This record gives sequence, structure tokens and C-alpha cells, in this order.
Amino acid sequence: MERIYVFVSGPLAWIAWTVFVVGSIYRIWHLLKLAKEKEQVLFSYISFKYAIRSIINWAIPWNTNNMRLHPIFVGVAFLFHIGFFLILAFLSAHVILLEEGFGLGWPALPDIVADMLAFAVLGACIFFAARRVVRPEVAFVTDWTDYALLGLVAAPFLTGILAYHQWGDPLVVTLLHILSAELLIASIPFTRLSHMLFAPFTRGYIGSEFGMVRHVKDW
Amino acid sequence: MSERVWIKDEGIERGAEALTPERIERTINAVLGNETGARLMAYVETCAHCGLCSEACHFYLSRDRDPSYSPVGKVKQTIWPMLKNKGKVSVEFMKQATQIAQTECNLCRRCVQYCPFGIDIAYMMTLVRRIVHKLELTPLYIQDTAHSHSATLNQMWVKDDEWIDALHWQEDELRDEFPTARIPLEKEGAEIMYSVIGPEPKFRTQLIYQAAAIMNVAGLDWTMPATPGWDNSDMAMFTGDSEIMARLKRAHFETAARLRVKKIVMGECGHAFRSVYDTGNRVLGWRMPPIPVIHALEFYWDLLNEGRIKVAKQIEEPVTFHDPCNVVRGRGLHEKAREVVRAFCKNLVEMHPNREHNLCCAAGGGVINCGPPFKNARVESNRAKAEQLKATGVKICIAPCHNCHGGLDDIIHKYELDMELKFLGEIIYECMEKPEAQ
Amino acid sequence: MTRRHHALWLGALLGGMVLALCSAPAWSEDTVLKTEAFGTLRRPVAIFDHDTHNEKAGLDDCAICHHVYQDGKLVKDSSSEDQACSDCHALKRQGRQPGLREAYHGACVGCHKSKGKGPVACGQCHQR
Repeated sequence: MERIYVFVSGPLAWIAWTVFVVGSIYRIWHLLKLAKEKEQVLFSYISFKYAIRSIINWAIPWNTNNMRLHPIFVGVAFLFHIGFFLILAFLSAHVILLEEGFGLGWPALPDIVADMLAFAVLGACIFFAARRVVRPEVAFVTDWTDYALLGLVAAPFLTGILAYHQWGDPLVVTLLHILSAELLIASIPFTRLSHMLFAPFTRGYIGSEFGMVRHVKDW
Repeated sequence: MSERVWIKDEGIERGAEALTPERIERTINAVLGNETGARLMAYVETCAHCGLCSEACHFYLSRDRDPSYSPVGKVKQTIWPMLKNKGKVSVEFMKQATQIAQTECNLCRRCVQYCPFGIDIAYMMTLVRRIVHKLELTPLYIQDTAHSHSATLNQMWVKDDEWIDALHWQEDELRDEFPTARIPLEKEGAEIMYSVIGPEPKFRTQLIYQAAAIMNVAGLDWTMPATPGWDNSDMAMFTGDSEIMARLKRAHFETAARLRVKKIVMGECGHAFRSVYDTGNRVLGWRMPPIPVIHALEFYWDLLNEGRIKVAKQIEEPVTFHDPCNVVRGRGLHEKAREVVRAFCKNLVEMHPNREHNLCCAAGGGVINCGPPFKNARVESNRAKAEQLKATGVKICIAPCHNCHGGLDDIIHKYELDMELKFLGEIIYECMEKPEAQ
Repeated sequence: MTRRHHALWLGALLGGMVLALCSAPAWSEDTVLKTEAFGTLRRPVAIFDHDTHNEKAGLDDCAICHHVYQDGKLVKDSSSEDQACSDCHALKRQGRQPGLREAYHGACVGCHKSKGKGPVACGQCHQR
């Protein structure tokens, strides 16, 4: 079991991050290549100013018209995304791993905050799943992949919480935690989680069209 | 609210008879393979299936929140299966996709403003229409207007001499009121070319009259073409017939170039503005229109601010203002329009939502042009608009767009709203100072 | 490199310790690492029974853990069991010298990993 742990936390982690980085670069490169080959005209409608304007306005919770129609969803969604990245980068155990592996480090979140955030992210996943069942307009466009993606995101948080609270065998739980996180990281570029990569482009493009050509807000 | 009915349309039915599975597959893959690229890929891959676009859509709102009418719901019933099955979809599927994309979406782009990723669902619906066009499934009535565009370069089968005749007729009428007024035809080197849509000479000639009156009162150097190319409308844009669209816009711009005008001023039409300002120019390879294109709303605002027209009286009764998608969400003219409205009307009562968030008329995007077979469904699908209008409690609604007029007119009748529709030009004509009028 | 070499030995040591711990879950103050230098602790003290660990891991050379570095180089045949780790390792990393926490983790987990024996996951040492 220790040897599996060594493999999963070492070489496999390198593989997962490499897949993520190389995959992400490939997807973005492919997107731009496709645009250049078949829709080169799009580039002449990109305005940095309006792209940023759009991205900023959609990055502020409850700022857009539609966000105000869904205040609870927006709260949960922002908490989910912020929690996700805060925990990824500032959970003390993660910071220590970086310290061990690379000798570098930065301040970590207080454990209680990180713990609450982790529960919040997990809760958000449950909220999203429930929403897919309860809301007809969401259920209509939901298929198994949507639940699978939610499961993929929820798994590292569930196992992370178990590991932190030492519920279950610490080695097994930690192993599962690392494995599920690696699966998540590696699948980002190749699933609809790639919205992480593409959202700045879709948002920026439409923001440019609305701002530069149509002279109107897109939020 | 009744359930969705799959409507029998002669154009769709006849087109479907000639379809084979191979042809469907080949056509879908040709369009999706050759005519799309990064955008479609990013849109399909990025969509989180969150359903947050739903409330943007007046079809969804009016149809008791039936999810199959939501923007993403329409994508799910069209683009997704086409991509997933690599074009292997049934004839029945294509007939339904035609109804959805061609008659249950106005391409008003409100959902684009509601999507957190800014996914352009209207773009995807135009792709479906493109496929529908290539499969010759386009509904009969709108296809007829596209045929008219193709044969006459105008939307309404207006013959070349009928057009000139209509302008002469309006000039005659105009000179009863303004003895020295002209509708100058073919005046090379004029500052402005005024262009209108096919239906104006056909059955809304009073709009040409009013525009000419405003031009004359404002003392402008303007002209109208006497040749094909005078019509700025474009139903081909809405049937996915890019080739015809390109011919139309080319004729229009070339007419303006031939007359050596400095700018094109357009009447109060939304879709034509979209075509000339946003879509048609792109099809021809112009990033922005090669000649400045000024929509009537902006034109009125300019005239008012330059002091070329003056307010003689104001409409006392409260009015409300309907923001057409193509000039507001498509050009941001909402504030200028309001300034003009406020100048001529004492009391502007806003409908809610308004400005760039206004609800659509359900007529635009070529939907009203699909004609009688789809009329009942269309009117039923805009109860939300009726409620929005009713809540203003106002009896005059200014709608500066032909399609909006048509759509709102139907809604006003169906929901018995006791509301009068006006073009803004109509009000300006009524209320401006007319020093030389007799 | 030498530091890592030492860490390997230490790992073997700690690995044995864990095996011992499995059969003896209760521990006294003598069976945990020294932590005074950390001040307030964020995690439960790591369990470490010195003698049992070394016996299990077959460690005789003190300098494997209690090493001596001078000018960034390991001093051979010299050990530092008379000193606390924190005498040299400050809380924060000083240039190439790891901070105290990093030193502990590096010594214990690093060795366990290289040996494939002994606790490696957080909760295995820092038991609640």
C-alpha cells in the first residue's frame, strides 16, 4: 500500500499535472488554430478592452441581470468556484506537499476555514445535482455526463474531508483523495470542465462583439 | 397554454418528401464541417447545461416555462443530436429542428446576455437554419420572400417601376403639404442615401411620406435610389441563405457607392439594420459597413441635437417604448431613442424589463415571415410580452421596428390590450415644427 | 544528496516504528516528537517512539537523523543528538537549509517513501 501511495503521490501526480498542462495548452492551441483556419474573421472582432470589461462584470457576484434573477444559485456557484481554487492552492496539507516536494511555500488557510470551504464545495456539488433533478429546465438538458462531472469534482473534496477528519483508514482515504484529484485534474482539458479554459475566450469574444460592434452591455 | 404542436407547413412537408438519410447526413456534416470552427466547438464544449439562459427567452416564459422552449433546450433538440450522431438524424427530426430554429427562436440574442459564458445560442440557431436551407426545408412563406429577394433584390416582389412609382406618388402627396418638397431620386453626390424595406412601398407608404417630410423640414441633402438595391431588408439572412444575403447587401452598398453618398440612413427597421450593419457586411468581407449606416433612431437624435428639427408640440398621453433587439441589443440606441421620445412625449412610462434587457416581440428573426401556419403558435408564445405591455397601463406604444410592429400588433389583438402602436417617425412627423407646411 | 541518504535510513527506522505502533496504539510523552519550537500546533503531535522505531528499522547510526551540516555540507562522522533539531532548523527555510517543519517531513516521510515502509499519509503520524 505504501508503494502504491508513493507511486500515486509521485509519478502519477506528475503525469496528471502534465496531462492537464499539455492538454490545456493543446486545447487552447487547437481552438486558436481552428479559428485561424476556418474563422479568421473572429480575430478582427476581438477587443481587449471590451473582453476584459465583460469578464470583469461577469466575475462580480450578483452583478449581472441574470445573476440577480438567481441569487442563491449565484452565491453557491461563486462559493463553489472560489472554494475550489482556495483549497487547491492554500490548504495547509497542500502547501506542505509543495514544501516537501519543492522546498517552496506560502501561507496556508486556517484549518477551520479550509474545512468549512471544503464542506461548502461538497455542499455546492450536492446543490448542483439536486438542481438538475428538481428544476425542469435543467433536468431537460441534463444527461449522465453532467452527474459524472459533478461526481468527478466532488470526489476529491469528499475524500479530502475524510482524510482531514481521519474518518476511515488514513492511508486508504488519502490515497483515494490523491487519485480522485489526479483524475479530476487530468480530465479538465478533455471534458466540459474545459469551460475553465474556454470561458475567457467565449466571454471575451462576445464581450467584444457587444461592446465594440453593438455598443451595448452584455450583462 | 397548449402543448407544442408540430405544425404542418407546405414548404417543410414538400422539402421533407425529397429527403434521404444520406442527404441529411451529408448536408449536416458539410455545414458543420466546412462552415463552423472554433466558435461552435467552444460553445458546445463550454456549455455547462446549467439552464440559466431559460429565463431570457420569451418563448420559455410564455409557454409556462416549458423547458423544451428554453434556449439551451432548443440547442438540445437541434445541434447536440446532429453533432452526437454525426449528422445521422431522421427526416422527422429535421422537420422538428426546422420548426424550432426557424419559428421558435427570434435570434434576439437576449439569451446571449444571460449565459455566464456568453455562448451565442442565436448563432447556433442560424447554423440550424443554414442546414435547413440546404435541405430545402425552409417554411414556405419566408422562402417566398427569399425567392423575391433573389429575383427582384427586394423582399416583396416590388417591380422596378412600381418602386419608382410609389416614390413619385408619395412625392405628389407630400407636395400637397409641403409645396416645394422633393423625394430626390438618383441624386449622385448627395450626403444621404435613404433606404427602406420592401414592405414600405408595398403597404406602408405613409412611412416613406413621413421620412421624406422629416428630410425636407430638416433641409437635408438626400436621395433615394431608383434602381434595385433600394431595399435594405434581408430575409435570406434569416433562412440561412448566405449567398443571397451577400448578393442583397452587395447591391445595397454598391447602390450607395454609385450614388457617392456619405452615409446610408435607414428607416425604422430592426432586421434590416442587423443585416446592413452587422451581418451582411461580414458576409461581404467588410469588418464594419463600408459606408456608415445610420439607423432612424440615431438619425432622429442627430437631427434633434443639431437643431434641424424642432419640437412644436408634445404627445400629452403617456407612452411606452419597446426596444427592438436589433437596434438596442444590436447597436445600443436605447438612450438616444429615449431622448427623442422624451422630447416629443410628455410622459414616457418604461416597460419592465427595458433597454437592452427588453423582451422580444416574437416576430423578428424571420419568425413572422414564416406566415399564417405559425401565427397562432407565435402569438401564444409571447404572452410574456403581452403581460409586460399591459403592466405599463399605457395606451400608446412606440416600436421603432417593422417586425416588432407586426408582432406586437398580433399580441395586442390576441390579448386585447387596447394599445396603439406607433413608429417614432410618425410621432416626430406629427409633433415637429413644419415651417413650410400648408 | 547526503542528506537524502541519511533520510533513507531514518525512513527505515520510522517504518519499523509504525509497525510497532500498530500493536501499541497508546503513547506517552516520550513517544512523540519534540514540538516546543513550533509554538501553537496546527496538527496533533506526530507519534514517534524513538527506541522502538530504531529497533524496527535496524538503525544504529545516530547521525542518520541527527546529522551535522556546516556551510551547507554534511560533516562526516559527526552527529548532533545532544542538540534539538530546532537549534539549527529555524521555523522558516534559510537558504538551502530547510525550515523545521520541512526538515521533519523530509526526514520522516522522505525516508518512508524511499523505503516504501512506514507512515506516509498525513493522518498516519498526526493522529487525532
